[in-house]
Amino acid sequence: MATETLTTLPWYATPKVSRAMRRVGRYPLVPLALLTFLLVIPALFAPQVAPYDPLKGSLSKRLKPPAWQQGGTIEHPLGTDKLGRDMLSRIIHGARVSLMVSLVAIFVGGIVGTGLGLISGYFGGWVDALLMRLVDISLSLPTILLALVLVAAVGPSFGTVITILMIFLWARYARLVRGETLSIKERDFIARARVAGASHIRIMARYIFPNVVNSLVVLATLQVGYVILLESTLSFLGAGLPRPMPAWGLMIADGRELIVTAWWVSMFPGLAIMLTVLSLNLLGDWLRDHLDPKLRHV
Amino acid sequence: MQRYIARRALQSLMAIWVMTLVVFSLARISGNPLDVMLPLEAGPEEYERVSKHWGLDQPLHTQYFIFLSKAVRGDFGDSWKWHGESAMGLVAQRLPATLQLAGFALAISLVIALPIGVLAAVMKGNGWDTAAKIIALLGQSLPPFWLGIMLMWIFAVHLGWFPTSGRGGIQYMILPAITLGWFQVAVLMRLLRSSMLDVLDSEFVKLTRIKGLAEWKVVWKHCLRNAAITPLTVFAIIAGGLMTGAVVTESVFSWPGTGQLVVDAVRARDFQVVQAVVIVFAGIFILTNLVVDILYAYLDPRIRYQ
Amino acid sequence: MRPRFISFVLGLLVALASTLVTTQTPGFAQATKTDRLVFASAGFSESNRFWNVARPDHLQYDPFLETLLEVDPKSGKYTSRLAEKWYPSSDYKEWTFILRKGVPFHFGFGQFTAKDVVHSHSFMMRPEATATLAGFWRQVEEVKIVNDHHVVFRFKQPTTVMDYAASRAGDLRIVSKVQWDKEGLDGLDKRPAGTGSYRYSGRQPGLSISFERVDNHWRGEKPAFKELEFRVVREESTRLAMLLSGEAHIADLPRELQKDALKRGMKIYSSSFPVDWMTIYLGGMYFMPGDKAFKAEVPWTNKKVRQAMNMAVNRKELLNTVFAGKGTYTYVTGWLPQSEGWNPEWQRKFDGMYGYNPAKAKALLKEAGYGPGQLKLKIMAFTEPGESEGPQVAEALGIYFKDVGIESEIEVLDWAKVREGFRKKTIGCCIWPNIISWRPSEESIRTFNYSKGPNHHFENEFIDKTYLAWSQSVKPEERQRHARAIADHLFEEFADIPLFWFSNEVLVNPKVVGGWVYPGLAAGRSTHFHLVQPAK
Repeated sequence: MATETLTTLPWYATPKVSRAMRRVGRYPLVPLALLTFLLVIPALFAPQVAPYDPLKGSLSKRLKPPAWQQGGTIEHPLGTDKLGRDMLSRIIHGARVSLMVSLVAIFVGGIVGTGLGLISGYFGGWVDALLMRLVDISLSLPTILLALVLVAAVGPSFGTVITILMIFLWARYARLVRGETLSIKERDFIARARVAGASHIRIMARYIFPNVVNSLVVLATLQVGYVILLESTLSFLGAGLPRPMPAWGLMIADGRELIVTAWWVSMFPGLAIMLTVLSLNLLGDWLRDHLDPKLRHV
Repeated sequence: MQRYIARRALQSLMAIWVMTLVVFSLARISGNPLDVMLPLEAGPEEYERVSKHWGLDQPLHTQYFIFLSKAVRGDFGDSWKWHGESAMGLVAQRLPATLQLAGFALAISLVIALPIGVLAAVMKGNGWDTAAKIIALLGQSLPPFWLGIMLMWIFAVHLGWFPTSGRGGIQYMILPAITLGWFQVAVLMRLLRSSMLDVLDSEFVKLTRIKGLAEWKVVWKHCLRNAAITPLTVFAIIAGGLMTGAVVTESVFSWPGTGQLVVDAVRARDFQVVQAVVIVFAGIFILTNLVVDILYAYLDPRIRYQ
Repeated sequence: MRPRFISFVLGLLVALASTLVTTQTPGFAQATKTDRLVFASAGFSESNRFWNVARPDHLQYDPFLETLLEVDPKSGKYTSRLAEKWYPSSDYKEWTFILRKGVPFHFGFGQFTAKDVVHSHSFMMRPEATATLAGFWRQVEEVKIVNDHHVVFRFKQPTTVMDYAASRAGDLRIVSKVQWDKEGLDGLDKRPAGTGSYRYSGRQPGLSISFERVDNHWRGEKPAFKELEFRVVREESTRLAMLLSGEAHIADLPRELQKDALKRGMKIYSSSFPVDWMTIYLGGMYFMPGDKAFKAEVPWTNKKVRQAMNMAVNRKELLNTVFAGKGTYTYVTGWLPQSEGWNPEWQRKFDGMYGYNPAKAKALLKEAGYGPGQLKLKIMAFTEPGESEGPQVAEALGIYFKDVGIESEIEVLDWAKVREGFRKKTIGCCIWPNIISWRPSEESIRTFNYSKGPNHHFENEFIDKTYLAWSQSVKPEERQRHARAIADHLFEEFADIPLFWFSNEVLVNPKVVGGWVYPGLAAGRSTHFHLVQPAK
């Protein structure tokens, strides 16, 4: 395939991943480092890294300030919450929880969305129209409101949050993939494959999907941050993860009334969210700039 | 063009109808409203009596049919929690407050995002660009509810510049609007910047430059117009986001809008009001999308023939 | 020129301008000497249709709609108000009220007469009535008018709680028949006339309800503040912020935030009496013979297990940490020293039977056949506006139980689900903390422990028999005997895990408020605003 410039009509295919990776020397070091410390290590090694059990606390040690404040101890460097649980451990485990929730939601939403998007873009016609209407409806569902109603119906749980997030996410993937499929399917190599007798599924999987992967990866990275924010908002409203899970959003909700005297209960999870999402966004931006600039529109 | 409009309008109607079905079912699964309406002292006879009064003893599909037939006339029934008010009446009562807040928030975010976004694109790689990037990133990373609480404590309690809550003159709107609009600044700015970048780089603009058109003319007249297409689409999404983001902001600042209304209604299992609010919100969103799509089709004729 | 840009900017300016135009004139409340007392409450069901509003939300009617009897702010006793005298018939099926003369309604709607009593009661008979005591009021067969100031309520069954129901602690708000005839439901919705020392002046939906002082109140009540406003503020931290910034002068705050307010110079005004109790209720206590809902596998159907669960809880620590030490111990759920059947022995025996003793708890569990980790249960928690401690207590409970080898899982639900569970007797799996507002202990038993009552907490034949005898008895010593029998029974049987009684506490700005006495037992908890004294 000839390399196409970026200055022509922007909806043509982009350089493949391998080519981008060869561009050494412009890795986003700072966000990657932050991400590693904030998200990946705690997520993988939380039980080993965290000093205490995030679910166990003792009421006599409640609301201890961070170590550098008067009344704080080095045993609980970031202080304790209102049930005496160590903040640092809860934040570390919270990274794991947040990451898990986001990844599962994005994975499931992504698969559903990609699949439907491929079908929609490839076959067109009434299938496309129907699916795109579903996308519209899905995008018009006021997420937070529906989350409130759903949680009132079935109670907060891991599954409920994933379902809500997934409903919110799949449509964006479907739309993106459909758009790309629409343009890719008109190209020569697809026509050649069809002439050669390839089945529809084979074409979609073998030819179209790989060209779409770039955008998917970028979108997913851009979205993890947003999903983490969304989950924390839902938890704040009581429509997210159930107690006593150490979810960052839940921790902020728990600490909101204490914001004046026990500010650390809300502040540190809030900082954690901010830094994590920041790093993810920076990473996503870099990925997008190098893999798939047309996604600037997303 | 006519055909396109008709087709899209019909599809929007379908979307709204599906919304009613979804909301109705969800609201019903969330349980028996009588458990919230009636006091602990109420025995089975009270349950029966009140259930009959509100038609809750009917089978679900009958209830849905009655609901739908009234809804198309704009009658969403009477509220179960705000006794004496109709569900739609409550929404109409509270909606102006939310729209006002959302409008103000959008205005604030546009005022900040527009100049910075455009400047960042035009003077690429400059201080503006970095500033824009930083603001955008911060905006998208801070949890809005946390920001709201922090703003309230710093500006309303410690400094006393603004009131903490409620609605009145413009000073009541500032903190909630900043909280609400914060996230959108980032989105708008990135969007403007990237779409401006694309257009600035395009062949078409290169041509106008070659033609010898003044730089500012190039930027404002040609680029902004073409760059405006994508933000237009996102505007619809942002408007919807603002309205649902209002739920959190209204809770924190006790702003008497539809966001607070729906949170209270969900807790009180006041289905009538929940249905009314969700359908109105979704309806507004779908209709905004419809208008934007039509505008889009007008601006870019290729769309009509998709 | 640059038309698009200009039009864009113009559009922006129009948007800004229109938002400004639609706002009202600015008014910024400041904490100075004030004519308008502002109370930041956790919120209430905003409606004037009192027959649909639960007792706690009657806070919004307390200033302007009165009741037949008063609750004395210091003694808690029922005293005369719109009724001068009242007495039951010998069979307690008829209650007579002699009404006061010379009580004018607001807005010129004439004098208070017996017709207004009949009229006010008639609202409770409407099909949609959901007031707390609507079920009780519907037991009235007839409200007979003997003359303009003499009315008799005739009940189907004898009742001993009429004074409670007709008092400020109940929900029969007296409104004007004359206004109804003239203005109908609309008048009641827009501008209800009452007889109180404050008069309804308006509502701002979602925000507040306001009242203004009336001159020449029939009882001579002279409120110190010309205007009164109750704000609806759901977020606790916002209420605290309002109090600190001076926008509100009185605020209803959870215990956690009380410390902050106190640190900044605010004062607490407590109700004269405890108003709520918190108890951990146990599901599955269906001991009526032949009750299909009874499941023997539920571990705490064994009394030893119930005692163990009680002894696992460190009430002192729980009180000091979650509730900032503000509360008194409950010995038997629902019983206060002034309740019928109170037994001073409970206090003496409590430590030995219910006190914190994890070792003994473990031993008891072992005796019951549950080794460490073998007992699993679910704790259901929920929050209500103004009662946010449920999940905290549940989590603390989980920790205490873990210490004695009971594995627990916490499920946070909404209140309605939990209620459905105990109403339908499907909650055998679980236990749940609940905060219940005070009601006479006879009512409490009927509602929670009587097998024919709605809520099926701890029930058995003995309670049923004794309750019936109690409620039908009219002799005071006999009543005391029956009441004590039931209460002792609940105590001995470890019917649930009683925790604490709480008074109603509000925080006030001492620069504005100098004194206030209120009972807490009246409907709405924070009541008697006419007794708020200004700061000197």
